[in-house]
Amino acid sequence: MIGGKFKRKQAKLSPSQAKSRAWFFTWLDVLAIGAWGILMLRYWLTGKLNLLIHPDYFWLVISGGIGLLIIASSKAWQLLRQRRSSKGAIVQHVTLFPPGMSSSLLLITAIMGLTFTPRVFASQTALDRGVTDSLGATRAQPQAFRSARNPEERSLLDWVRTLNVYPEPDAYAGQRAKVQGFVIHPPELPPDYILISRFVITCCAADAYPVGLPVKLSTSRQAYPPDTWLEVEGTMATDTLVGKRQLTIQATSLKPIAEPENPYEY
Amino acid sequence: MTQLNNAFTLFLSLLVEAMPFLLLGVLLSSVLLLFIDEQKLIARLPKNPLLGALVGSMVGFLFPVCECGNVPVARRLLMQGVPTPVAIGFLLAAPTVNPIVIWATWTAFRDQPEIVVLRIALSLIIATIVGWVFSVQKDLKPLLQPAIAKSWEYNFSPTQDFKKSTQASPLLQSGTFLLNQPGQMVRMDATVLQASLAATAPTKPLSDRLRLLVDNTIQELRELGAVLVFGSAIAAFIQVAVPREVILNLGYGPVTSIIAMMLLAAVVSICSTVDSFFALSFSSTFTSGSLLAFLIFGPMIDLKAIGLMLSIFKPKAVIYLFALAAQLTFLFTLFINLQII
Repeated sequence: MIGGKFKRKQAKLSPSQAKSRAWFFTWLDVLAIGAWGILMLRYWLTGKLNLLIHPDYFWLVISGGIGLLIIASSKAWQLLRQRRSSKGAIVQHVTLFPPGMSSSLLLITAIMGLTFTPRVFASQTALDRGVTDSLGATRAQPQAFRSARNPEERSLLDWVRTLNVYPEPDAYAGQRAKVQGFVIHPPELPPDYILISRFVITCCAADAYPVGLPVKLSTSRQAYPPDTWLEVEGTMATDTLVGKRQLTIQATSLKPIAEPENPYEY
Repeated sequence: MTQLNNAFTLFLSLLVEAMPFLLLGVLLSSVLLLFIDEQKLIARLPKNPLLGALVGSMVGFLFPVCECGNVPVARRLLMQGVPTPVAIGFLLAAPTVNPIVIWATWTAFRDQPEIVVLRIALSLIIATIVGWVFSVQKDLKPLLQPAIAKSWEYNFSPTQDFKKSTQASPLLQSGTFLLNQPGQMVRMDATVLQASLAATAPTKPLSDRLRLLVDNTIQELRELGAVLVFGSAIAAFIQVAVPREVILNLGYGPVTSIIAMMLLAAVVSICSTVDSFFALSFSSTFTSGSLLAFLIFGPMIDLKAIGLMLSIFKPKAVIYLFALAAQLTFLFTLFINLQII
């Protein structure tokens, strides 16, 4: 129906007007597709792709970006050649959306993507999504599991995975821990506890889910505001928190660190 | 502000993940549309309604389109005289039963191969049944949009010139339509497929075909890309605005989980090439049956596709399609949840 209206409107235009309109919209297409190609490659080159998808799928995005650029540039080359030889009319296609709307939408999104930087998820999202020390609520099963690791070499996710395989907190009491993550202040925990957490992604940010372990501090948690990245060292102990026995890190040292290049775990 | 940033990050992440799949789908569909002779394809289709519906459901392997691309193709098939069950089977199954979607589903659900197998099998079965049911209606014209039925009539004029045929008086011609004549062109009033139709003329040199391939790719990318932007925006908004607990609480019951996921599939309207990644984010908490309901029902019917389908069918026919597909999806996935299958 939209196409029908457009058709009638087109009929009123003189041939030269219609041609320059078509010319404009074709260039808009080229720009929109090219901009998406640039956006995807730029995310890769600036390392921002880490924030959006799992590294396993980087090659898809990279080849997609290159593909989009090839299509855009071949059309651009063809348009330029056409102008020089000025032969061959541009076919005006009637489409679902009014002309230019789709490509404008794509172009605007690409420009927004190029202007704003995606940010890693923070503690509020983790609270919304429900942090656990269990992978049971998630799909991802431990895939590469190395139990022979030294306890202090385990990452937060390694700990969670270990705990999932053998969920008896007492078994780990006294082991040394050294993990990195960001701070969450869950309202249900006492004021001298924080949750140290990481987001785990299996495919893209849409499926990111948080995992975390409670950390017992010797002071109030006010010194470590939410979303601060910390390296926590300490020993493992069992605590009863919110009516549940849980593996807890008794912190001996808490060192603020910069947000890692790769904020997610896989 | 954090919420906005999260929504934007989610939105970009969905798009960046989906764009390569979309590009691949569009490229493949353009290549196949340009280099496969549909006339020969149509001539070989079986006349038996049940068999036809089954074959139609599997034609998606040759036209790997998502649910944004299948409507124009199905419409073209109908206009070119393909039997109704074949076209309906194709319309419902092609977005799922095609190599790209199977690959994407496999990428997302590698840990649960049964999801991949059941998604394909159930989509085939449901599309075949619905196609078969529609074969009872011998003359599809009462169910078609008047505009289509009319353009059907004057489109079979022996000219391929778009302008000429639109300016031609839409006088009704006698009831004989000239089908399958070599070199004869059928004008699609919709669309992106015009270029590809022109390209299938055997006289076109390769360079022209390649040019049309690029044109077709650009048009499909632009159209479907815009729909994808909308879908991702809605999906990102829902993920951020609706606390997961609300959705998760629905996800436990064998019946409510299916209804919730079918509703979500219809609302989110995410492309079938990428919907498995979307479903993945719910896979931890939802029953397998409800994930399948999402993966089967979404590609058949969603808000975005209904808009497209209304460009072929009258609302009555869309409601039939919708109700049949929904009931069958619900039944089959309920069997899975209750472990009857």
